[in-house]
Amino acid sequence: MKTRESCLICQIVGNKVPSYKVYEDDLILAVVDVNGANPGHCFVIPKNHYPIIEQVPDQELANLFSVANKISSAIFENLKVQGTNIFVANGIPAGQTVAHFMVNVIPRKENDGVNLQWKTKQLTEEEMSTVELKLKEQIQNVGVGKIENVEKPKTILENAEIQPTQSISDDDEEDYISKQMKRIP
Amino acid sequence: MPEQQAPAPQQQMSPEQIKALQEKIKQMSPEELKEFQKKQCIFCQIIAGKVQSRKVYEDDDVIAILDVNPANPGHILIMPREHYSIMPQIPDDEISHIFAVAKALSNSSLRALEVQGSNIIVANGVAAGQRAQHFMAHLIPRKENDGVKFQVPQKTISEEELQATRKILSESLGAKAEETKVVPTLLKMPREKKVVEAKFKEKKQHKKKKPIKNKETKKEKKSGSGESINLDDIAKVLGPG
Repeated sequence: MKTRESCLICQIVGNKVPSYKVYEDDLILAVVDVNGANPGHCFVIPKNHYPIIEQVPDQELANLFSVANKISSAIFENLKVQGTNIFVANGIPAGQTVAHFMVNVIPRKENDGVNLQWKTKQLTEEEMSTVELKLKEQIQNVGVGKIENVEKPKTILENAEIQPTQSISDDDEEDYISKQMKRIP
Repeated sequence: MPEQQAPAPQQQMSPEQIKALQEKIKQMSPEELKEFQKKQCIFCQIIAGKVQSRKVYEDDDVIAILDVNPANPGHILIMPREHYSIMPQIPDDEISHIFAVAKALSNSSLRALEVQGSNIIVANGVAAGQRAQHFMAHLIPRKENDGVKFQVPQKTISEEELQATRKILSESLGAKAEETKVVPTLLKMPREKKVVEAKFKEKKQHKKKKPIKNKETKKEKKSGSGESINLDDIAKVLGPG
């Protein structure tokens, strides 16, 4: 496991800093953000220390977003919200404040003070063409990682560790299935 | 519908863009128009090649085009070819692939566009800022002082609320894992008790292990490839922690 002692997120991973865990497996951890943009705001992190997305191996990245998606679904189904955002800040100019890559899942309601909109920049056709060509060329060099076997994240939610009394009963599962039926399209 | 193409709700397409789009719609054959109306989705038309776009990447499942209303030069929309409205509808393997493409394109924009970062944004639902009916991930290359300002406030969430949301979400995610076990198509994935136990054991070991610093820095240097840009440099600017 790649960790960095000075990294707050690594300390959360190592249980040196307490956190509100919602999901955990051997490579990934998801916790509720104590200073979230909205209640239920979670961040999903690789347990290994990678500062930016480019350094995250494809398999871990696949599982990160898969877990983020499951949390997004869980938020839709269980918290009274009207939407979710998946938000990644990669690099300081993008607003990244912690040097540990994370995927934010933010529950959304109307007028909740979160704004992920932008002002459109006007580019000339020529500028657009230049950007298009540069990116097209570069991605050929970079290449897109192929994931042979998409490993469905194995939930090892350490309920026992966090709250010994907590378990998932049949009732909960029935409840989940009934919620699934009413699921937002 | 022109407004579906505008990703930002507070902004609309320019009259010329709307006109150009309407013109394109007029020129479609009845079959195409029918399909268009049926799907109500401009992005399915783009994917089908019926509406022009600037494609920067495409494969069998995913297509990435330049946003016509970019937040910054190089703003890319990454979409599955299949029509999905929101992320929770998308199967895991497609999610994985979409974000593998996002990673590669983020990397490409760092190398090709003289930028120092990127944002990846997905909006599920109108309240989240979703305007298109077709699921997409926005990749926005970022520079210092580029005028893009996202507001992600840091609210003080009460202890009770944190506990409550943690409980609800963790149970929901746990229940999901239980549920997937009974889906026959997923049974090929190793889910036997043995595996789970092994993972638990592994984890305990991790806790005992202390990080070996030298090893870790070596590995990290390897992971950044040093062509025109060193990813470690970008990562390093973030500081230690």
